[in-house]
Amino acid sequence: MFHWLEERPFFFAVGVFLVVSFAGLIEILPNFAEASRPTVGTKPYSGLQLAGRHVYIEDSCNACHSQLIRPFKNETDRYGMYSLSGEYAYDRPFLWGSKRTGPDLMRVGNYRTTDWHENHMWDPLSVVPGSIMPAYKHQFTQNADLETAYAEMVTVQSVFGVPYNKPITMKDGSSETVKLGASFEEEKANMLAEAKLIAADMKNQDVKDAVANGEIPKIVALIAYLNSLK
Amino acid sequence: MGNQNPLAYDYTVAKWFLWATIAFGIIGMTVGVFIAFQMAFPELNYLFGEYGTFSRLRPLHTNGVAFGFTMSGIFATWYYVGQRVLKVSMAESSFLMAVGKLHFIVYVLTILLAVVTLLSGITTSKEYAELEWPLDLMVTLFWVLWGVSIFGLIGIRRERTLYISIWYYIAAFLAVAMLHVFNNMEVPTYFVAGVGDWYHSVSLYAGTNDALVQWWYGHNAVAFVFTTPIVAMIYYFLPKESGQAVYSYKLSLLSFWGLMFVYLWAGGHHLIYSTVPDWMQTMGSVFSIVLILPSWGSAINMLLTMKGEWEQLQSNPLIKFMVLGSTFYMLSTLEGPIQAIKSVNALAHFTDWIPGHVHDGTLGWVGFMIIAAMYHMTPRLFKKELYSKKLMETQFWLQTMGIVLYFSSMWIAGITQGMMWRATDEFGNLSYSFIDTVTVLHPYYTIRAIGGALYLIGIFIWAYNIYKTMKSGRELEDAEVNVNKSPMAENR
Amino acid sequence: MDLGEIQAYAYFFFTAFLVAVLYGYIFHLYRSEKKGTRDYEKYGQMALDDEVSSKPIEKKEESVDSQKLAKGE
Repeated sequence: MFHWLEERPFFFAVGVFLVVSFAGLIEILPNFAEASRPTVGTKPYSGLQLAGRHVYIEDSCNACHSQLIRPFKNETDRYGMYSLSGEYAYDRPFLWGSKRTGPDLMRVGNYRTTDWHENHMWDPLSVVPGSIMPAYKHQFTQNADLETAYAEMVTVQSVFGVPYNKPITMKDGSSETVKLGASFEEEKANMLAEAKLIAADMKNQDVKDAVANGEIPKIVALIAYLNSLK
Repeated sequence: MGNQNPLAYDYTVAKWFLWATIAFGIIGMTVGVFIAFQMAFPELNYLFGEYGTFSRLRPLHTNGVAFGFTMSGIFATWYYVGQRVLKVSMAESSFLMAVGKLHFIVYVLTILLAVVTLLSGITTSKEYAELEWPLDLMVTLFWVLWGVSIFGLIGIRRERTLYISIWYYIAAFLAVAMLHVFNNMEVPTYFVAGVGDWYHSVSLYAGTNDALVQWWYGHNAVAFVFTTPIVAMIYYFLPKESGQAVYSYKLSLLSFWGLMFVYLWAGGHHLIYSTVPDWMQTMGSVFSIVLILPSWGSAINMLLTMKGEWEQLQSNPLIKFMVLGSTFYMLSTLEGPIQAIKSVNALAHFTDWIPGHVHDGTLGWVGFMIIAAMYHMTPRLFKKELYSKKLMETQFWLQTMGIVLYFSSMWIAGITQGMMWRATDEFGNLSYSFIDTVTVLHPYYTIRAIGGALYLIGIFIWAYNIYKTMKSGRELEDAEVNVNKSPMAENR
Repeated sequence: MDLGEIQAYAYFFFTAFLVAVLYGYIFHLYRSEKKGTRDYEKYGQMALDDEVSSKPIEKKEESVDSQKLAKGE
């Protein structure tokens, strides 16, 4: 029986495939629905935050920063409450990272400000002496890709049922709604409104001017995203 | 086939992939050494504007060496070993020849586009699956072409039973196909919303599920790109080069099935103490330990193949590369399971010990095996004697030193960092701020970069040696080529 | 019985089954060598004697079964 398999490449391949796929079937499939349920108080990303998330991915921040706090005292002391599965329910893709060349950013919004990020992205050494992180000055001059962010919002809403424009119950029982414009122009207005709040806390005049002119530099979107990480 | 023109193996495609292996090896590893120096000397981040930062270059390095260098090496050896152990020439089928050539063209095109897109920051961010959906489709296409080539060649074989190397190539083909398809399930946003970049997509899975699928993929990409095809190589090249049949063919078969079954479970060890369910983490941990058995089964089998022939280790640099390669395989398949033990993982995860572990395996095992395989193939592909034995020896020692510097510095760096992160004073307050744990690593980052540079110099020596072999190696008669030990210029 | 429980049983029995198959395989490898029906170790020669003109260890056309038929077993 075994030798029969060994000299028949087709059935051999089927055998290998069965053995190889077994682990995936058992490990991944059955838990799928449960793992994707959001925790109470987890909101989808707004348009500007999502555009910022794209900047984060484009510059591979996740190559050096994790977004996963493990349940150890030293990690919760340093970064805050450990991570829960449902907190990632709207993360497509997940950005846990695999290496902490820099610190974890899962809840960076709790302890860093717009102002801090602006200085840090312009010149990391000015805020963190000894830092080996490069400056990301191009984020101050290039504009965020708002259309793609909008396209992604529409996609996740229609394909995955992400609850935009629906009330979401927060931890304290109140409810909040994350808006998604019916057209790109409408959503861009939402994004710009949010960007203006960020720009007001920034000091780079070029960035402020750009936002006043209806443009959104990447840095503004990125900061909106980082501030949303809580 | 006319009788006046006796049938011979046709290595056209193997030669093409040999070039690709060398070219992508140089590119991928140069980027690697460069980013290693960036971690020690951050000013190097500003040489090429936004395209030269560590974060942009890191995916280029990982993709360059995994999917450029290693995969070219796998394909090159397939188009060589496949014909030989099946005892059938590609010249016998013009269809398979065309498929092989098309395979190469689509592959190189994909990798070049990957370089461009990754530099531009077009990435899905999933490690080792960074390419966006149009490139994923191209990967699928060349993978299918490789499959046609494998099963086509098997279909016209003369040898009834498939040699163990063929088993490993088949396994690599099937598993990577499965992993690639499931991990890259993504929805192109442009086709849903009608605006934005056409190449952008959003993952089908969210959060914890995405992580689970990604590390099921990520770990097994390591298994089926960095392990099974490399085992396929060593099961052919070590016996051939040494003239000794595999120590125990039965053990090789058993290790094969063991590896197939166990490897896929081990992906969970990347997610220990994360938000995936506990039982999966434990399963990942346990199976990682079990994985030592089949891995060491293959490695010990290789070392025992040299039984009674150990003097070859001294006389033949190719045997040196392969034996040390198997040894590094043993080291890294022991180190991996140790890191997968929960309490060790708590310390090691997120630190530099992990890249250290990866590089034991990739530099020591994958790199050495591919280097040896290409050296072995060169005289047969070009019917020329290898240009210089002394350069091979020099390369071997430089690279070995490089690897030792690399993993020893990363061991220290990783454990130092892990210990400092968790250190508390007598009142239970954290002893160090994060930046303290970064600046302390500077000397180790420097040592690591130097180790990497030594290895890279070895790669250049390798490329030079093969180039010189082609250009000015001594021409060989068929009878001189059809031997076990690779012909090499002993005095140069 | 919920999904998790079915999953656990399926997992247990399938693993047990595969372990049995693996041991069966070891048994098969050694028994066929002992009985002389098949010498697995000779396949190791495939890597060493691999010129296109070399004689295959077992030719594809003539399977073990057809050899038996030819010998009239």
